[in-house]
Amino acid sequence: MMRSVFRPRVAPVAAVVAALVFQMMLLAPASAQEYPTRQIEIVVGFAPGGGADVAARLISGYASKKWGKPVTVVNQPGASGMTATRQVINARPDGHTLFLDVHAVSSMLFASQSDVPYRMEDKTPIALVTFDPVIYTVKADSPWKTLKEVAEAAKANPKSFRYGLGGVAAVAAFSVSQFLHAAGVPVPETNKVVFAGGAPALAALAGGHVDFAGQQWSEAAPLILGKKIRALAVVHPTRLPTFPDVPTAKEAGFPELNVVGWQGLSGPPKLPANVVAKWSALLEAASKDPEFLQQAEKVYKVIVHKGPEAFWQFQQEELKKYLPMATQIGIRK
Amino acid sequence: MDALNHLLAGFGEALTWQNLLFALFGTVLGTLVGVLPGVGPTSGIAILLPLTAFLPPTPAIIMLAAIYYGAMYGGSTTAILVNIPGEVASVVTTLDGYQMARQGRAGPALAIAAISSFVAGTLGLVGLTFFAPALADLALRVGPPEYFGLVVLAFSVVVSLSGASLLKGLAAGALGILVALVGLDPQSGVRRFSLGTAELLGGIDFIAVIVGLFAIAEVLLAVERRAAAVSLAPIGRLMPSWADIKRCTGAMLRSTGIGFALGMLPGCTPGAISFVAYDVERRVSPSRAQFGQGAIEGVAAPEGANNATTSAGFVPLLALGLPSTPALAVLLSGLQIYGLQPGPLLFEKQPAFVWAVIASMYIGNVMLLVLNLPLVGLWARLVHVPYAVMGPMILVFSVVGAFSVRNTLFDVGVAVAFGVIGYVMTRLGYPTAPMVLALILTPLGESALRQTLSMAGGSPVLLATRPLAALFIVIGVALTAWSLVARRKRPEAFESTG
Repeated sequence: MMRSVFRPRVAPVAAVVAALVFQMMLLAPASAQEYPTRQIEIVVGFAPGGGADVAARLISGYASKKWGKPVTVVNQPGASGMTATRQVINARPDGHTLFLDVHAVSSMLFASQSDVPYRMEDKTPIALVTFDPVIYTVKADSPWKTLKEVAEAAKANPKSFRYGLGGVAAVAAFSVSQFLHAAGVPVPETNKVVFAGGAPALAALAGGHVDFAGQQWSEAAPLILGKKIRALAVVHPTRLPTFPDVPTAKEAGFPELNVVGWQGLSGPPKLPANVVAKWSALLEAASKDPEFLQQAEKVYKVIVHKGPEAFWQFQQEELKKYLPMATQIGIRK
Repeated sequence: MDALNHLLAGFGEALTWQNLLFALFGTVLGTLVGVLPGVGPTSGIAILLPLTAFLPPTPAIIMLAAIYYGAMYGGSTTAILVNIPGEVASVVTTLDGYQMARQGRAGPALAIAAISSFVAGTLGLVGLTFFAPALADLALRVGPPEYFGLVVLAFSVVVSLSGASLLKGLAAGALGILVALVGLDPQSGVRRFSLGTAELLGGIDFIAVIVGLFAIAEVLLAVERRAAAVSLAPIGRLMPSWADIKRCTGAMLRSTGIGFALGMLPGCTPGAISFVAYDVERRVSPSRAQFGQGAIEGVAAPEGANNATTSAGFVPLLALGLPSTPALAVLLSGLQIYGLQPGPLLFEKQPAFVWAVIASMYIGNVMLLVLNLPLVGLWARLVHVPYAVMGPMILVFSVVGAFSVRNTLFDVGVAVAFGVIGYVMTRLGYPTAPMVLALILTPLGESALRQTLSMAGGSPVLLATRPLAALFIVIGVALTAWSLVARRKRPEAFESTG
C-alpha cells in the first residue's frame, strides 16, 4: 500500500508533455478542439484543508492525470460557500470553471435558509462523487458503550447532557438533533455547544468538555483511530472499512437516522451537454478505479457515483429530508 | 532517550541532498511570502499543494512546513522597515521595530528579529521533539472556559497599548470589537450588520483590515508629510551589539515560554500570543520606558513568541490532527493527500516520516538564520529608497495581498476603507494596535464565553469552578488594575507609546 504513496510520480508530467505535442501535431489546423482545451478550475467555497477541499483535490488529481490537462483547485472561502457558488453560476459555461458542490451550499443550505442568493436550479449538476458518513462518538473513557445507552442517559438527565456541534447549520446540527428526537430526548432542555468546525468540536469531545458528537467520518477518523474518542455507530448502509467493529445506525437500533455529508461536481447554468457527459463518464470510471478508491479511503471518503439526473434527483430528495428537520430544530432562517 | 534516537534517524533522512534542497526552497519561499504583505503562508502552501501529486511525501511536507515557519521570519522585515506587518503575527513588531528603523537602527532590529526567531523556533522544536504526545493531551484539557480566561487576560493588554490617552485606546479597542462582530453569529447563526449582502455575511477579513490599517494608511501618512524615504538617518551598524543581545536574552527566553505554552492550544491565534509576549516584556524590562520608542526587546519578544508558537503548532497538528491556524489546515490536507493522517498513530506508524520532518525543521531554522542575517544589509538599505518608488510598490502589494485571501475584489475595498480609517485614527491620535488586538480576540472570546455558558445550561459557573479559567481571569483583572495604577502614577511613561 505504501509503495504507491512513496513512489515519485513523473508520469503526469510526461503525459502533459506528450498530450501537448500530440495535439499540436494533429490538431494544428483544426478549429474545433475537443474539450478540455486548456486549464480547468474547480472552485471550492471553503478554505483549504476541509472536507470539500479534500474532495476537490481528489477529483482534480484524477482528472489531470487522465486528461493530461491541468485541473486546479481554487479556494474562495466566504459567506459559508455562497460567494464562490454565486461566482461560478455567473461564470462562462465553457466547462473551464466548475465548482465543488457540497451539501453545505446545496440541499442543507436551502433547507436552513429561505433567502439563498441563488436557486438550486441555477447549477448544472454533473455528478455526485463522495459520501462522508456521520459517525456518532463519545469520549474514549465515556461510560456509554452503545447509542442506546446515550439515549437513555440523555432522556434520564437532559439538563446535564452536553453535545458539541461543528457549526450552527452544519451536518452535525442535523445529525445530532435527528438522533435526539428519534430517541425521545427533550431537546430544548439539553446543552448544545457550537464550535467553529468539526475539528474543534471533536477536540472538545476528546478533552471532556462535551459528552457526545455526531461529525463526519473524515473529521472523526484520526481521533477514533488514536483512541481519544470512541465511535458508537455510523450512518451508512454498511460498516466502514476503517472501522469494521463499529455498528451501523440500523444495527445500533436507530434505522431512521439518515443524515449524510456529500460532495459532487456542478457547473454554471447552460453547461454544454458534451462537457457534462465527459466529466460524468470520467467520474464514473473513477468510481470503479481501485487506485482512486484506495486514495479516497485514505482521506476517509466513500465513493458513490451518481450521474447528472440521479445527482439532481438526490439533491431534491435531500432538500425534502432536511426542510422539516431544519424547521423542527429551529435553525431555518 | 527514545525521542533522541528517532531524531538522529530523522536527521539522517533530512540531510539527504534532496530533502535539504526542498527545505531550502521552502525556507526561501516562506521568507518571501512572509515579506509580502497580505500574501501569507496559507496561500503560499496552497499554491504549492498540487506539487504533492509529483513529489514523494517527505520532501513535499518538509517544503510545505518550511514555508510556514519561514514566513514567520519574513513577516518581521516589512514590519520593521515600512511599518507594514507581513503577517498577522508581526503586527506587534511594528511598534518598536519601525521606530528603530526611523532612528537608523533598522539593521540591529532586523538582526535581532532573526536571532530571536531562531532561538525561540529552535527551543520550541526541542519541546516538540521530546514532549509532543504528552503535551497534546494536556492541550485537550483546555476547553472553552479556559480559552475565555485567556482572552480576558489578553484583553488586559489593551490598557497598556493605549498610549497617551486611555480613552482613545479603549475607543480603538471598541471599534475593533464592532468590526469583529460583523457576519454570522457563531452560536445561533443570526446575521449581524450584514446589510443584506452576502459579502458582509462572511465577516470582514482580518488580513484585509491589517493591510489597510497599516500598509495603506502608512502610505497616506507618508505622502502627506512628503516623506523622502522611511529614514534619512545614516545606516549605522547592521548587527546588534553584545550589549543588545544580552539585553534581549531574557526577552527571547520568556517569549519562547509564552509562545510555546499558548501555541500548543489549538484555539489560540498566534497574533494574540505575540501581543501577550510583548506586554509581559514591557512589564518586566528594566528599560520599559523605551517601549514604543524603539526598544530592542520590543522586537525580540514578539518575534520570539511567533516562532515558538509556530513550532508549538506542530504539537496538536502531528499528535492530534488539529490545525491551530489556517496555514496548518492546508498543511494537514497535504498530509492527507498522501494518506498520512496526523493523529496519535502517526508517530507509531510513520516514525521515519515524522522524525525526518521534525529534524528538517531544525535544519530549516539554521538555514533561515544564515539566509536572513546577510540580507539585513540589503533590507536595511531599503529605508533610503525614495518614497516615490516605495509608496506605489507598497500599494500594489497591498491590493494583491488583500485580493488573494479570498480571491474577491470586496476585500480590496475593505483594505482601502480601513486604509482611510487608519489614516484618520493616526491623525487624531488614536492608536491602532488596541483595535487590531480586539479584532483578534473578539471572535475567540465570544465563542468561548457562549460555549462556556452552553456547557452549563446558561450559567457562568464554570468560569469560577474550573481552576485554570478562574486563575486566568484573576490575573487578567489584576494586570488591568496594575496598568491603571501605573498610568495614574507615571503618566509620562505612556506619553509616546502606541
